[in-house]
Amino acid sequence: MRFKSIFAWIIFLHVIAVVIVSVFMPLALYWLLSRQTDALHDRAMRGQADAIAHHLVLQADGRWTLDLPTSLKDLYSEAYGRYVYSIVDERGDVLFSSLNESEPIFPSDPRSRSLAVLETRRGDDMISGVSVPKESDGRTVWIQVAENLAHRDVIIDDIVADFFKSVGWITLPILLLLLASDIVIFRGALRPLLRASEQAREISPTRTDVRLPVDAIPNEIRPLVMAVNQALDRLEAGFRVQREFTADAAHELRTPLAILRTRLDTLADRRVTDELRQDIEGMGRVVGQLLDIAELDTLVIDPSEKADLHGVCAEVAAFIGPLALAKGRDIALEGAQGPIWIRGNPDMLHRAIRNLAENAIHHTAEGTTVELVVEPDGTVSVRDRGPGVHDNERELLFRRFWRRDRRRAGSAGLGLSIVQRIADVHGASITVENRAGGGASFSLRFVRLG
Amino acid sequence: MRLLVVEDNEQLAQLLTKGLRAAGHETDVLTTAGDARSALMTTRYAALILDLGLPDEDGLSILREIRHRNDPLPVLVLTARGGVHDRVSGLRSGADDYLVKPFAFEELLARLEALMRRPGQLLGSSLHVANLTFDTESRQAYVDDKPQVLSARETAVLELLMRRSGHVVSKKLVEDHIFGLSGEVASNAVEVYVHRLRKQLAERGAKVEIHTVRGVGYLISKSK
Repeated sequence: MRFKSIFAWIIFLHVIAVVIVSVFMPLALYWLLSRQTDALHDRAMRGQADAIAHHLVLQADGRWTLDLPTSLKDLYSEAYGRYVYSIVDERGDVLFSSLNESEPIFPSDPRSRSLAVLETRRGDDMISGVSVPKESDGRTVWIQVAENLAHRDVIIDDIVADFFKSVGWITLPILLLLLASDIVIFRGALRPLLRASEQAREISPTRTDVRLPVDAIPNEIRPLVMAVNQALDRLEAGFRVQREFTADAAHELRTPLAILRTRLDTLADRRVTDELRQDIEGMGRVVGQLLDIAELDTLVIDPSEKADLHGVCAEVAAFIGPLALAKGRDIALEGAQGPIWIRGNPDMLHRAIRNLAENAIHHTAEGTTVELVVEPDGTVSVRDRGPGVHDNERELLFRRFWRRDRRRAGSAGLGLSIVQRIADVHGASITVENRAGGGASFSLRFVRLG
Repeated sequence: MRLLVVEDNEQLAQLLTKGLRAAGHETDVLTTAGDARSALMTTRYAALILDLGLPDEDGLSILREIRHRNDPLPVLVLTARGGVHDRVSGLRSGADDYLVKPFAFEELLARLEALMRRPGQLLGSSLHVANLTFDTESRQAYVDDKPQVLSARETAVLELLMRRSGHVVSKKLVEDHIFGLSGEVASNAVEVYVHRLRKQLAERGAKVEIHTVRGVGYLISKSK
């Protein structure tokens, strides 16, 4: 399984570790606890065997006598029933026993001959104890002491028996607490990264000066952040080079055109120059549009900029007006009467709407009016009475260098791609429709402020 | 008075000088910002045509110096940079107008003369459109050199349109111009005056048209 998030991956592994530990730790503790209680039992049994041995005496006539004090007798009484003893000689005969039987407690077990912890069953009960030898004048007897586990010490018994219920459960909450604290720790450790990501989000072609903060970043991740910053350095240099190139290209291309144009304009013979002048105008327009595109490719608007869509459209209409009238067309501004504020750069909006309006003037039939309609919701539509747009052209319209009629001079098919680019930069949508009664309507929908 | 052209491209500078002289303006040409600076200190020019891309420094710095001195010298900026920021910074630095290369020489001349006709600037006080003439000093309109009697507000509208002939004059500007800031103005008042003026001019044989650019303003041009 692969996680996209380091954080999720760590938590996932952590949960698995918690599950495993919460199973094995109580088992281990239980085992240790049982061993401890067994050791205690063993020591107690041996102590009791030693106590009995103290009262076991070999008489001069070779007989063994056992004279237990009352307190010890009570301990092994059948009424109490918890402890038993039996003393066995070399032949395996029982010399003394707390039980009224001639059988040793651990009869058939060969280990009863040596010191050992032993267990056996008596009826339904489990009996556990020790067999301790005692030597006297070269004779050996074995003192067997055992405890009936059914009557074992209640406290120890309960602790072991209820271990999981009363103690073992605590491991799970402890581990969960550990998990929670680790989550907090990891979050804290990752916070500088999140901050760096937020800062990285601000980087755009207009804000190429932003760099990710290195100081707060953990050492392990610092090389990555520094590599990103270095990449940004190179990117900024690239943008700068392109901007410089655009400015240089503008100068190198426009100045000769200006010379050519002025030379023609100051010539006396108008008949010869008119066609040439049109050629230069067309060429100048294409150069201007190419430079616009080059510039727009490295430009993004400042989020704080705002523009009055109505004002921009009024400027465009005023700018286009003389041109339109000279060509026998008209232009009109309709819709909203007052300012419509939108997020954007006024100059770029001017260029986009002017491109649409120039296109419209070019396509609209003679004697008709191009309408700029500003809606209060931040939409501007440029409507003409031209041939309209074929369905199969819709996709092509906004492509760079696309033209319906490639033979037409003075058009490089860049105008609408500039409009598209400016719309993209402003987060605006473009729609193209054919109008009832003929003609096309290009609409730009901007984000209205307020 | 003379014009100063500051343009580092010699060919373009010579062509501009030739054109401007042909249009009746004596013209000096300089190619560097340094020379331009000293010339502006010693000579009073009617207007400055300033290229922004100069070899020694940015033309904008000269412009800023001129405005810093509160010199009202009309400045027309020529630029090869058509970029957003270039235009904005050019106008903010105090250019009165700008043209992006390549430009039509007639456009340059028209804009330059418009700058020099602004109040406080010196250029022949008469404005012409076709056979219509307007004397800005006597505030008198002529059709084919015959003086015409127009009402004060018609005269004001005509003067405004003729100062900016070839350009659309916004309705708001006309409104402010004829009524000043004197409170409420009927929404169609401007239309009424323009309509009257149009009628008057037609009756008197002026070969001009006042076009209405709906939603924007008005434009005077010679009739076709």
